[in-house]
Amino acid sequence: MKIEILGTGCSKCNKTKEIVEKAVKETGVNAEIIKVEDFDKILGYGVMVTPALVVDGEVKVAGKVPSVDEIKKWIKK
Amino acid sequence: MKNMPEEPKCACGSANVAIFTCAGAVNIGQLSNRIAIKLEKQGIGNLMCTAGIGARAPGLMKSAETSDRIITIDGCPLNCASKTLELAGFKPDRQIVISEFGIKKSKERGLEDQEVADTLRKVMEILQSK
Repeated sequence: MKIEILGTGCSKCNKTKEIVEKAVKETGVNAEIIKVEDFDKILGYGVMVTPALVVDGEVKVAGKVPSVDEIKKWIKK
Repeated sequence: MKNMPEEPKCACGSANVAIFTCAGAVNIGQLSNRIAIKLEKQGIGNLMCTAGIGARAPGLMKSAETSDRIITIDGCPLNCASKTLELAGFKPDRQIVISEFGIKKSKERGLEDQEVADTLRKVMEILQSK
């Protein structure tokens, strides 16, 4: 599984990364976590506000920090 | 000038306001977009792609879902931007219709700087009221 965190290094983006790492650890899924800071790539997903979270190419949230429970729901197979 | 923001805006800090325009193929449609670009430059909100909402593009839909407020700028009473948002399940908090400023709809799409400035002033008056 590939989890991308879209953002420019702001506090909310960093918080999102922390929460993603927690959710991945707690669920035990095998996931590659990537921080995407490239504007072109972020816009390529149609995302206009960050932070955003993309799981296996699908945008799950944009413009807010998701909760651990939300992320767990998105990454559980 | 680009038609999209130079970079996605962080939702940190101030209210997250989304601006959608009809960007229609007439003078007032083009004016709606020009005004929105100026509003974004002034920090009023983030210009987003209305066509992306029509297409249900996931990134755009998610960006709109987390907006604290949605402003739509329509060129004429057909209200295409507002209706596009409503059909996708969003309720605009504030709608501006450019034709209500007395500008006649035409296929002449070249915009005069003075016309843009006058319209922007009127839009700002509306946004600052209430």
